[in-house]
Amino acid sequence: MQILLVEDDVEAAGHVVAGLREAGYSVQHCADGREGLAAAREARPDLLIVDRMLPHLDGLAMVQALREDGLATPVLVLSALGTVDDRVEGLRAGGDDYLVKPFALAELLARVEALLRRASGDVRHVGLLRVADLEMNVLARRVTRAGRDIPLTAKEFQLLEFLMRRAGQVVTRTMLLESVWNLHFDPQTNLIDVHISRLRQALDKGYDVQLLHTIRGSGYVLREPPAA
Amino acid sequence: MTRLRSSTARLALLYLAGGVIGVGALLWTVFLLTERAMDRQADLVIETEVESLREDYRGGGLQRLVDVLDQRVDDWGRLGAVYILLDPQGAPLAGNLSSWPRQLVPQGAWQAFQLTAVERGREVMHPVRAAVVELDGNRLLVGTDLSDRRRFMARLRTTTLWGIFSTGALMALIGWWFSWRIAGRVRGVAQACASIISGDLARRLPVDGGHDEFDQLAVAVNHMLDRIEQQTQSVRITFDSAAHDLRAPMYRIRSRLEAALLALPADDPALATMQATIIDLERVQRTLAMLLQIAQAESGSGGAHSEPVDLAQMARELAELYAPEARQRGLLMQVNAQQATMVSGQQQLLAQLCTNLLENAIKYVPPGGHVELHVRNEGGRVVLSVSDDGPGIPAAQRQEILLPFRRLERDSASPGSGLGLSLVAAVVRLHHGTLSLEDAADDGSGLRVTCSFPPGG
Repeated sequence: MQILLVEDDVEAAGHVVAGLREAGYSVQHCADGREGLAAAREARPDLLIVDRMLPHLDGLAMVQALREDGLATPVLVLSALGTVDDRVEGLRAGGDDYLVKPFALAELLARVEALLRRASGDVRHVGLLRVADLEMNVLARRVTRAGRDIPLTAKEFQLLEFLMRRAGQVVTRTMLLESVWNLHFDPQTNLIDVHISRLRQALDKGYDVQLLHTIRGSGYVLREPPAA
Repeated sequence: MTRLRSSTARLALLYLAGGVIGVGALLWTVFLLTERAMDRQADLVIETEVESLREDYRGGGLQRLVDVLDQRVDDWGRLGAVYILLDPQGAPLAGNLSSWPRQLVPQGAWQAFQLTAVERGREVMHPVRAAVVELDGNRLLVGTDLSDRRRFMARLRTTTLWGIFSTGALMALIGWWFSWRIAGRVRGVAQACASIISGDLARRLPVDGGHDEFDQLAVAVNHMLDRIEQQTQSVRITFDSAAHDLRAPMYRIRSRLEAALLALPADDPALATMQATIIDLERVQRTLAMLLQIAQAESGSGGAHSEPVDLAQMARELAELYAPEARQRGLLMQVNAQQATMVSGQQQLLAQLCTNLLENAIKYVPPGGHVELHVRNEGGRVVLSVSDDGPGIPAAQRQEILLPFRRLERDSASPGSGLGLSLVAAVVRLHHGTLSLEDAADDGSGLRVTCSFPPGG
């Protein structure tokens, strides 16, 4: 997977590039908007990570220019502002996701993975989801594990659906807050942990195999146990 | 505004009354003086005539007087003069009256009576003023027909009254127009001010171009508003740049820490230190984000992305999000938000307002306490309130606590930025709402924070 990072802070960019490469991506870095636009047109990367404030050509203007070219490449906008207006502008200009600096590398990696998977159609849009012996019928709003009903509240159902559609993929707390609760800011407490642990109680309690895992420093993942 | 409007109308009414009284007194005095002068003139004519006839009598006796009267009799009718001369027995000797007027009182030199004449087949009354003189037992009456003068006076009276009336009408019209114009301009200023207060900081007071006092005032106020806007703008730019400049090193610090973390073995004692540093960094970042958001909301520039928001639904979802946390802290949380309550605003900011209030309640209410989130339509407004039976906020500090970084003395040990309620206040202002803090219970305990918004969406 080819990623283009357009970021004028060279040192920070270096760390991001290293982190992305560590995760197995091939990364190209540009330090200004004009250069970034040219590189994006030429190299056709699978994903763009663009800082909002760039020398020569503003990050949003660059994304807009690419969209006008008809390029549908997913774009992750990075911003140092992080106000509601700033976010809305970033997404309106054609960004697919938005991350406020400074961010945890794990958060960036999770979002990069989510964007790439979404672009490749890897998010499951079917009405019947299955992870190991856990089954969800989205239309009937019914969840069973090993054939046994698991009663869930509406929000727990939504939370589980989000995790099941991204089975095997790390999902961060902020991603859950944004997608399940539609909150695009950072509440002061670790609210999500409580909700996840309640969901885990419902899903995994009494079963030998645990499906919902916490990834330290990143978030959570719902995945099938490795075939052994 | 209504007061002002009525005050210009009152002023106009006062001018109208003064004007009408002044003009009325003047015209009426002129009328009375004219009337008196005309009466005086009639008397003068009669007196002169009487004197001339008396001369004739003295010079030539009764016969001469009768001759003179007979000579003049043809002219008399034309001139409106009335004469009659009676001998001591009361028999008429000369004159153009057939008999001595009946209504006449015998005594007195000056007399007034009515003559009945037949003109074109109709009986017409003629008012007459006359003088009566005794000439050795003979009685002479010399009078004049006042009809023309009376007609003239009647016309003058009508004209005078019309003059007074039309002056009044004109003044009333001018007064009304004037007060309407002033009220209109004041209304324009008030409207502009209201829209500036409610966040349209680019709005200016209307200037007519007439260079009158209103224009001078509007221009001065507009200059002042320009200055304020420049300052707000520069504060905002400073804030944005400060945020940007602070975030760049924070970004690098975090990147370095994370890169270093990856390189460390899992049991390295430096790991905990670095993780604690990252947590602190996140706290600084959150504070910065809140400050920025407050600055943006306060500068009124955040209203660009308004959308219809159902506050009740939002409250229900947030309460559900916070319920496990509240339960963990031993609090009983209740939500009362059944009706759909629509406001027009920024969903994210309203959600942040709501979470800040919930987080405060959860943070400060001791275990066993109650927190109630209530959203309702009330008196044409959408009202969101969070009540608790916690320690409350002393009445004297309720205004101050809304300012950034202000915290209560007793809370200084607990973590928190002191920005939560400031953001609430800024969001309420941005949405043209009102915010009030009060005791939740009658005995002065607890806290109820009430946000009231205009409906919308």
